Amino acid sequence: MRNLVVIAFLWLGLAGTPAGAATTSWRSLAPAQQEALAPLSQQWDNLSEQQQQHLLKTAKRYPHLTHEQKKRFRDRLEAWSKLTPEQRNAAREKYRAFSKVPAEKREQVKQMVREDQEVKVQQSASGVPAAPPPVQP
Amino acid sequence: MNTNSPNNNPRDIAPERIARVLTRAAQQLDDDTVAALRRARNVALQRQSLSKPVFALSTGHGIRWLMPHSTQQWVAAIILFVAILFGGLSYWQHENDLSHLDTAILTDDLPLEVFVD
Repeated sequence: MRNLVVIAFLWLGLAGTPAGAATTSWRSLAPAQQEALAPLSQQWDNLSEQQQQHLLKTAKRYPHLTHEQKKRFRDRLEAWSKLTPEQRNAAREKYRAFSKVPAEKREQVKQMVREDQEVKVQQSASGVPAAPPPVQP
Repeated sequence: MNTNSPNNNPRDIAPERIARVLTRAAQQLDDDTVAALRRARNVALQRQSLSKPVFALSTGHGIRWLMPHSTQQWVAAIILFVAILFGGLSYWQHENDLSHLDTAILTDDLPLEVFVD
């Protein structure tokens, strides 16, 4: 009985440390995980163990998303994973702050962004650059 | 040179010879010396039994040395256990919140650029 208590202590200590697990290879992921994280298939094996675990947790909700949300998730995942941890934290803070804004104000902002995007799409369709063209190396 | 008298160099004396000499000398000790030696031996034995728990690890008792021995140690162990449990739970909770937030950002109808500088 006493030995069991000690073993429970040690197990908790080991299981509690995130460094206990090793990195997971892309091939060993489940098909559902591979589908959600497909945009990262190339760089997956080079990601840190911590980043992999975090992405796997994020991908857990993927099967429950709508078709439109799934598309957005995949489209943004690569850009998101390329941000620095500080940039991601800043974005999370912004998102948190924005979700506290009253609903009607939030809708106004969304409307503005939508209009802005439409203008950009029209400009690029008519050949007028929305922003100065990037300098070619 | 004194190569013919190896007994002068302590390294050349055979250990068996030393033991023999010591045994013979011990038999010739007077009573006072024997009594003093016995007292010293008893004192040494008492001291050894006092410090026993320190060496419990090497006496084949397995992981028993890890167990708390007194009430204070039990209290300290329980506090440590609760602290580890609490730390682990809050880390897990934080990680969960974070991944939830990330999913929300990645699927929001506002583009990512709005939240990223």
